[in-house]
Amino acid sequence: MALHHIIEVESLEKVFHVGRVDVPALRGVDLRVEAGEFLAVIGPSGSGKSTLFHIIGGLTSPTAGRVLVDGVDLASVGDAGRTRLRKEKVGFVFQRFNLLPTLTAQGNIDVARHIAGDFSHYQEAHFQEIVKMLGIERRLHHRPAELSGGEQQRVATARALVNGPAILLADEPTGNLDTENSQAVLEVLRGLNQRLGQTILMITHNPEAAGFAHRTVAMRDGRIVS
Amino acid sequence: MINRMVVNNLARRPVRTALSILAVVIEVVLIISVVGLVRGLLDEGARRQQGIGADIVVQPPGASVFMGLSSATMPVKMGDVLGQVPGVTAVTPVYFQSFGGLTLAYGIDLESFRAVSGGFQVLRGRTIQGGYEVMIDDVYAAENKVKVGDTRELWGHDFTVAGIVEHGKGARLFVPLATVQQLSGSQGKASIFYLRVAGPQDLGPALARFKSMLPGYNIRSMEEMTSLMMAGNLPGVKPFERIMIAIAVVIGFLVIFLAMYTTVLERTREIGILKSLGASKGYIVNVILRETVLVALLGIGLGIGASLLLRYVVLHNFRTLAILITPGWLLRASLIAVGGALLGAFYPALRAARQDPIEALAYE
Repeated sequence: MALHHIIEVESLEKVFHVGRVDVPALRGVDLRVEAGEFLAVIGPSGSGKSTLFHIIGGLTSPTAGRVLVDGVDLASVGDAGRTRLRKEKVGFVFQRFNLLPTLTAQGNIDVARHIAGDFSHYQEAHFQEIVKMLGIERRLHHRPAELSGGEQQRVATARALVNGPAILLADEPTGNLDTENSQAVLEVLRGLNQRLGQTILMITHNPEAAGFAHRTVAMRDGRIVS
Repeated sequence: MINRMVVNNLARRPVRTALSILAVVIEVVLIISVVGLVRGLLDEGARRQQGIGADIVVQPPGASVFMGLSSATMPVKMGDVLGQVPGVTAVTPVYFQSFGGLTLAYGIDLESFRAVSGGFQVLRGRTIQGGYEVMIDDVYAAENKVKVGDTRELWGHDFTVAGIVEHGKGARLFVPLATVQQLSGSQGKASIFYLRVAGPQDLGPALARFKSMLPGYNIRSMEEMTSLMMAGNLPGVKPFERIMIAIAVVIGFLVIFLAMYTTVLERTREIGILKSLGASKGYIVNVILRETVLVALLGIGLGIGASLLLRYVVLHNFRTLAILITPGWLLRASLIAVGGALLGAFYPALRAARQDPIEALAYE
């Protein structure tokens, strides 16, 4: 495993303003993730797991604290900088797959490359290996409606990895899958980490799923508790 | 890639896409056809005036270049005086009377009209000789299915069709001058004089002489007269065209705005997905506006086709009408349609671009 920290979070705070009420979602989170690590984040609903992911992934900005993602200080970049981060350094896998329904599986992957443009680190041979690992070579010309839940999640994983991101953020990747497909997707994630050295952060409610990771952190009430 | 996404997005909602295209079609047809009809009628009228072959036109003070809007107030005997001016070779008085809306009839003295115009090309029958006889041009005859020997009711009297002549000499119907004077109670009066001069060198001096003889009268060369009748020079035509264009743009704008607004609402989650992949605001706007441009282009193509078809159908059934469709106005209509569509899509596109990606991803 590489020794440098690909993610560094210090005293991270995030407050949402809901009408006249301020809702603190993160209350001072410290976290370090090494390159090539597979980290699971567990916790009950409302613990701040998703907010932590959204900040690390550049979908929203921190209220206070320091967040470094592969050398990019998210506190010092604006919306354009976070947008670039999502093109270049971050890949998302969501619980609901979030594939574009009007495009085929290949189209969904291609759109991620198209959006990244010059910021893509696409490598043909590397990506073909990923596609083979994911077992979706024969499903690429099908639209999401023609794919099973497990297949859709694997296509979403391929899309998340096509640009060679520094980190893969998986938010409850097995939340909408049955046991068999959940197992398959988790095996894939572990394979990506072990064989290709992909840094993975995964949110999960499921302790068994968390067992696939190198390390697990638990969150509660906006803090990491263990 | 982006074009593939655009086409698929439009194909996903075929009814909405079709309605948006239809709005643009209506916009284009409205602009091209209404402007074409106005300009066509005006320009065609001007061409028929030129077809008389006269060099100078004399009208009383305050008379309109549009014949049907003026009354007969000049004595016919004035023509004798006008004919004495050096350089003038022929003078003919005409009494025009409109009927049935846009249709104009000329009351003519056949001999003097022939001297100015070179005469009629009689296609069937003969020229008028007097009384309640009428000559009609071939366009009017075809539209109204009239043949020699038929009767036409004009001003409460039955006129017999004496002959059908080739179109292009002022009016579509010609009756004896004395008859129309009698029927209107204006014996010895004329609405207009057409004059011919010997050569181009006589035109200027003749015009100057007439203006000094008849101060206050509308005395113009035929070129000046027909220029005033052209759509581009007539006051009120351009404001009318602008109003029609504005109405058309509003139709297209509103439909596209509503269509794109609902599209953006419906695809909130998809917009969130694109943003999670790193799509910038500009990328999102680009997708929405490309969809709009594609809809506009399809609408323009179909709209031009529909306009040409409409022109064919109208002219086939109403031969006295004229719809002028020029490349210039096709281009203008196209640009206006694209502009209106982009304007309509602008706010929805901005709204899409500004959406918070987290909220968008959570949208049901």
